[in-house]
Amino acid sequence: MTYTNPSPQVSPTLGEPPIVSIRDLQKVFPVPGGETVALKDANLSIQRGEFISLIGPSGCGKTTLLRLMADLEQPTGGELLIAGRPADEARRERQYGYVFQAPALMEWRTVLKNVLLPLEVMNVPGDRVARAREMLKLVGLEKFERNYPWQLSGGMQQRVSIARALAFDPPLLFMDEPFGALDEITREHLNLELLRLWRETGKTVIFVTHSIPEAVFLSTRVVVMTARPGRIEGVVDIDLPHPRSDDTREDPRFFTLATEIRELLKKGHA
Amino acid sequence: MTPARTLAARPGGTLLTAAALLIGVGGLLLAALTLPTPGEGTPPDARAWLAGILALLAVGAFGVRGAAQGESRAARTLPAAFTLLLAVLGTEALLRAYAVPAGLIPTPGRVLSALWTARSVLLQDTYTTFVLEALLGFLAGTVLGLALALLVVRFRFLERGLLPYAALFSSIPIVALAPVIVKAVGLDWPSKTVVVAVTVLFPVVVGAVRGLQSASRLHLDLMHTYAATPTQTFRDVRVPGALPFVFGALKVASTLALISAIVAEFFGTNGHGLGFRIQIEVGRFGLDVVWAAIVLASIAGIAFFALVSAAEARLLPRRS
Amino acid sequence: MTALRPSRVAGLGPMLIVALIAAALYWPLMLAANVGPAGRTLASGAELDCRTALACASQLRNPVVPAPAQLAQGFVRLSTPVTSPLALPYNVGVTAGETLLGLLLATVTGIGLALLLVASQAFERATLPWLVASQTVPVVAIAPMLAVLLGQYGVQGFLPKAIIAAYIAFFPVAVGMSRGLRSADPLHLDLMRTYHASSAQTYRLLRFPASLPHLFTALKVAVTSALVGSIVAEISTISFSGLGKMLAENSRASDTVALWVIMGYGAVLGVTLVALVNALERWVTPWSRR
Repeated sequence: MTYTNPSPQVSPTLGEPPIVSIRDLQKVFPVPGGETVALKDANLSIQRGEFISLIGPSGCGKTTLLRLMADLEQPTGGELLIAGRPADEARRERQYGYVFQAPALMEWRTVLKNVLLPLEVMNVPGDRVARAREMLKLVGLEKFERNYPWQLSGGMQQRVSIARALAFDPPLLFMDEPFGALDEITREHLNLELLRLWRETGKTVIFVTHSIPEAVFLSTRVVVMTARPGRIEGVVDIDLPHPRSDDTREDPRFFTLATEIRELLKKGHA
Repeated sequence: MTPARTLAARPGGTLLTAAALLIGVGGLLLAALTLPTPGEGTPPDARAWLAGILALLAVGAFGVRGAAQGESRAARTLPAAFTLLLAVLGTEALLRAYAVPAGLIPTPGRVLSALWTARSVLLQDTYTTFVLEALLGFLAGTVLGLALALLVVRFRFLERGLLPYAALFSSIPIVALAPVIVKAVGLDWPSKTVVVAVTVLFPVVVGAVRGLQSASRLHLDLMHTYAATPTQTFRDVRVPGALPFVFGALKVASTLALISAIVAEFFGTNGHGLGFRIQIEVGRFGLDVVWAAIVLASIAGIAFFALVSAAEARLLPRRS
Repeated sequence: MTALRPSRVAGLGPMLIVALIAAALYWPLMLAANVGPAGRTLASGAELDCRTALACASQLRNPVVPAPAQLAQGFVRLSTPVTSPLALPYNVGVTAGETLLGLLLATVTGIGLALLLVASQAFERATLPWLVASQTVPVVAIAPMLAVLLGQYGVQGFLPKAIIAAYIAFFPVAVGMSRGLRSADPLHLDLMRTYHASSAQTYRLLRFPASLPHLFTALKVAVTSALVGSIVAEISTISFSGLGKMLAENSRASDTVALWVIMGYGAVLGVTLVALVNALERWVTPWSRR
């Protein structure tokens, strides 16, 4: 597979260092009476502005890989550089926003205050409220800023959580199956929204999912992972044109790519 | 935090910990033995003793901290045991150093000897308070409470009409209830049993009702698809679901039972019971007997709680 | 225990009917309880304005269960003049004050202890077993002795009762609060880590607000304990006011009617204090659904 850059707004200059660089990365968890290899010999290089999906069955280490990049876990081997620095340094410099599978909003804070949280913690200078409002507008929830999280639907909560991750303008956005718990209609709608956000903000997105159509629809490249031990089976370039719309899902190329990923997943399963 | 952890991880660290514990406990024991019993002479220079005892306590605390490092069985149990030992010995030494009169605070040693010399009276008191009053009242209150809970669950009217009162009643202080019941039922132990039963009743009703209603909609629907009889549904879904709630309430009730028995005894007895003993001996400044009674009450309380917990462990499937 | 609150208006109908049934049952129960002592009093030849035991049952001086009219008289007798230091309203106020001050002391101590427990594993291992055990210990038993002790050191009046109330109430607060501080959602902890938040920020923005529901559950238990504590303290120290002093006095004088009235006041005070904590909870945690 040759690397082509299908993203229209990204034109990487030759020699620009990758924003994520992973070499022979390994993660072993101790378990009673032995150890589990969660991730084995992972190699991956991600350029600024890409939209990368990590896809695979449960137990393939895709979430582990994301948590390693976020310095929420520490690798047991290999090398991992985020924006040219070790992961813990990148975290301390607040290089990424993280969106969890659950919205993880604080139930004692209003929608606006939830988005304000990272700005408060990081002591961001300037008009924080204006910044938070701008983020809410970006996800289309500016009318709900005074509501408490429980008054919002699951999809709306997840949009707040995305606004919160973008609030402090990190170059990277890590998303761990953010739409996994939502219904299909909501999910497809949020997929479109997310693509729009990605184009408008120019972030690099790393997105964990177990849905093949979602991965194909969103990504510039899909990293296919398989389980036991967790490893990278292959990387598929998604050369679908941008901007993508509901029509993209009808494109024959969409099905070809989905089939390609499915074959890779099966190969790893055998 | 980190230096202490690395310290204990080395064999030398373990040695240091053991030495600190030994010095703390041994030193305090020595101090307690050297100092005269309060009332039998005044120790010289209390301030110097204070400094010494505090230093020994600090050494002991350092040892406890060292012993708490790691995940071994010893690291989980030893710190608590040594803390008790250090606290008791430290109290003994301090009280002796300052020659605090026994009428004010008796030394732990004195309490122990009171426990021995007054054992027959105290055991009789414990039997009255724990077995006749707390335990019987607890059983009566539990049986009554469960019966009431069944009625409440069976009849929606009672749920709306009676349950709010049960919740309301559990915020009434027992002390206000006790004198009335003692006056109505009499000075003998049954009056205290009634007080205990009444205090136990309300949390049990509230807990059991909440438990019986906690059955999941899905499980109830499942039983419905099996065309199960109401009895079967009750036995196979509602009761197992209610047990954790009932035991939660029973644990609370076991503590309440002993407290209310003791408090009720403050309002009149026929001369038996730990609460009576405490009140009468406080009046006579026989504080060593008071503390001995408190020690027995504590042991009874812990035993009671352990009893309920053991029953829970037997009846509930272990989840892990 | 108090989580099952009566649902608003819809629930009042059945509650009223049950109250009426209880009131209707009260009269025959009262007669049944009093008829024996009434017969004995008659037989002893005491001067009474009634002939039969049944008629006298509602007019005994020290009834086992007082008649409604006696209760009403007792209520008026003990409640007036309202501002008098000998009347119940004033004494209820004194006890309420002691209890609330005690609760405040208990909350501060309990939260401090909880912070220590959560911050230091060694401290937790050394003391938590004893804290848990102390929950099962009838701490009230210590109150009379503590009262003597505090009196010896010159702590007198209002304060020793509050201290005893606090002593009884701070264990549930410490245990509940440390459980609460640990109850923070792991996802939220991860989130704070991705923000590179300081430990103080994590406590202020996450652990502390997350612990509030646990704290209030504990406070509802603690306020009842504190009330019991301050009443027991009043009984076992030399007190000149308070519900406990009135209970002790009338218990010694065998004034049953007074005891019933005091019990009523005590019940109302207990329920009011719990309601107060509930109101405080709603005010402090406006995000709560209820």
